Amino acid sequence: MEELDLLKKAWQKDTQSFQQVTENEIYKMLHKNSSSSVKWILIISILEFVLWTFISVFFNTDEYIKQMHAEEMMIYLKILTYVNYAVILWFLYCFYTNYVKISATTSTKQLMQDILRTRKTVQNYVWYNLGMMFVSMIIGFIMEFLYNPQLSVIKDKIAHDEGNGTIIKIVCILSVVMIVFLVIFWLFYKLLYGFLLRRLSNNYKELKKIDL
Amino acid sequence: MSETLEQSFVKQLKENQNIVHKICRLYTTDSDAHNDLFQEITIQLWKAFPKFRGESKFSTWAYRVALNTAITLYRKSTRSVNTVTYEAQQHFFVQDEYNHEEEERLKLMYQAVQQLNDIEKALVYMYLEDKDYAEIAETLGISEVNARVKMNRIKGKLIKILNP
Repeated sequence: MEELDLLKKAWQKDTQSFQQVTENEIYKMLHKNSSSSVKWILIISILEFVLWTFISVFFNTDEYIKQMHAEEMMIYLKILTYVNYAVILWFLYCFYTNYVKISATTSTKQLMQDILRTRKTVQNYVWYNLGMMFVSMIIGFIMEFLYNPQLSVIKDKIAHDEGNGTIIKIVCILSVVMIVFLVIFWLFYKLLYGFLLRRLSNNYKELKKIDL
Repeated sequence: MSETLEQSFVKQLKENQNIVHKICRLYTTDSDAHNDLFQEITIQLWKAFPKFRGESKFSTWAYRVALNTAITLYRKSTRSVNTVTYEAQQHFFVQDEYNHEEEERLKLMYQAVQQLNDIEKALVYMYLEDKDYAEIAETLGISEVNARVKMNRIKGKLIKILNP
């Protein structure tokens, strides 16, 4: 293509069109803050880890179980708690190794993959926590049902129900609440990371298309 | 020790700064964004500098980090605009040895390049810098054959833009 080669000639000869930056200005730039997407992903990810770890530690169920005289459930919940801690540590380890791997000196495709993987880890952590919350809610509900004397009215009602009307109603309400909750969360994340990563993921798709 | 590292970095970047300027010119449309991207690239280069062991030339190493920053790490959106607006672009075409007609063709061609997407610009950039396909492929992380195919498609796209 003749035009492109004309441009190439001009391009390579071109040394005067830029206002040259002095050494002093470069020194100053070195001490300024980066505003790269990776930096923001790191900050937001750490906040997410802190938030969710805080939530899972904060919702300590021990007191609640004692109140309800459900000590026999204690051992299971203890196991669940330790498993939960192990999973959190594993996520943190993955996140850290992913983050360290990100380097501007690898190929563009590799760099994009590394960034997207790092973010995926955090996303999985959030989904894991949401899942845990869901499981805890179900366990909580069952425990209430089994041990809380105040709920005997409902139990009676279910027992006297022809068919399963009441229990279906309860399950429906709980499901709707959970789904609404999940959708709000999902939208929030789409927005948050969409804003940060839109350009990167578009470019990644574009690059992958070339290699198809 | 770290001071000499810093000194050597600053000196080399100053000598090779046109690499970075050219990428900024390609990926931004006004001088504020140009300076902003230049700064981000400088920071990324400095962060990666300890890993630079002098196996390749500073310039070869720098254009990869700079391209990665422009395509992947730089956060602000850089919409491509049809009109060539800022100085770094204006100067480019005012080179004595070109006659008016050539200057006009160059200008149109450059405007066409500006309309390409980020990845296509990266390929064109390396093409203009006279890199071979092996190096283009390695930098972007795609196969050499596909880099060649894509470059041909880009040429086709540019012809279409120039002759609508």
